[in-house]
Amino acid sequence: MTDQELQKTVKQTQALFDNYGVLNGDNDILHYDDAYAKQRGFRGTLGHGLMYTAYVCDLGAKKFGRDWHYKGRLTVKYVRGVCPGDNLVTTITADNQVHCKSQFDTTLVGSVGLA
Amino acid sequence: MTRPSDVKPREGELPGALYKDWVIGQEFDALPFTITKDIVQEYMSVVNAEPENYVIDGRQAAPPNVVLVYMMAVMYRKYPPQQGGIMIGNTIEFHHPIWADEDTDVVGTGRLTDKYERKGLKYIKYDVEFKTPEGALLVAVNHTSAFPN
Repeated sequence: MTDQELQKTVKQTQALFDNYGVLNGDNDILHYDDAYAKQRGFRGTLGHGLMYTAYVCDLGAKKFGRDWHYKGRLTVKYVRGVCPGDNLVTTITADNQVHCKSQFDTTLVGSVGLA
Repeated sequence: MTRPSDVKPREGELPGALYKDWVIGQEFDALPFTITKDIVQEYMSVVNAEPENYVIDGRQAAPPNVVLVYMMAVMYRKYPPQQGGIMIGNTIEFHHPIWADEDTDVVGTGRLTDKYERKGLKYIKYDVEFKTPEGALLVAVNHTSAFPN
C-alpha cells in the first residue's frame, strides 16, 4: 500500500468508447451518435461511466495491492460527461479522494478505501 | 465463455421499460455466466488496465471490476433498456479475486431498490451481487442511473 497520490491519464477517443461497447454489448446511442448526444446537450458522445470507473479501480489496485481484491471499496458519482478528445486525468489523493478531470471539467468524484 | 453481448438486451432491440414499469423491490432473475481468460484480456485492453497492478502473491489476477461489464445485463433482462440512459453513480465492493489464468463461473443476482423523479429525469437504483455458483461473494454493487422516460 502507498500513501502517495496516484494518477493515470488516458486520452479519450471514440474508438475507446466503441471497443468498450463491443465487449459489454452496449447499444445506447449516447455513446455512438454525436448528433444525438449534442441534441441532448452534451459536447459529444459520452464515454461509458464504467469504463473510466475502471481507471479508478486500476489506481485502487495499485494503491492497496492484495487487500483491494478482498475488501476494496469505491464510491463514485459521474458529474459531467467525458467526450472524445478529452485528456482524462484520474487521481487518487493521499487521503483516498478520487476525481477524474478533463481539460474542460471535473467529470467524476468519489472515494476509495478498504472495508 | 459468456460475452456480455450474448446475455445483455441491447438498447433499441425491445421496447424499453419505462419509469412506470419499474417496481421497487423487484428481484432480477439470476444470470449465470463464465468469465474466461479471453474476456479478462479483452477487458484489460479496453479499460487500459496495467497487469502489474493485479498480481497477488505472484499470481496474475484480473481487475475484479471485470464483472461490471455484466452488471447492466442482470437488470436489463428484467427491464429492457431505453435509449439515452445516463450513469449517475456506483458503490462497488470487492470480496474475492477473480483470476486471470482460469475461467470463473459467476451468478449475478439483484433487486431494484428505489426510483424517483428529479429535474425531468427518472432515476433508478438497484443492487447487484456477483457470486460463485457455490455462493461465495465476489463483488457487490449499488448502482444509480437516470433515464429520459
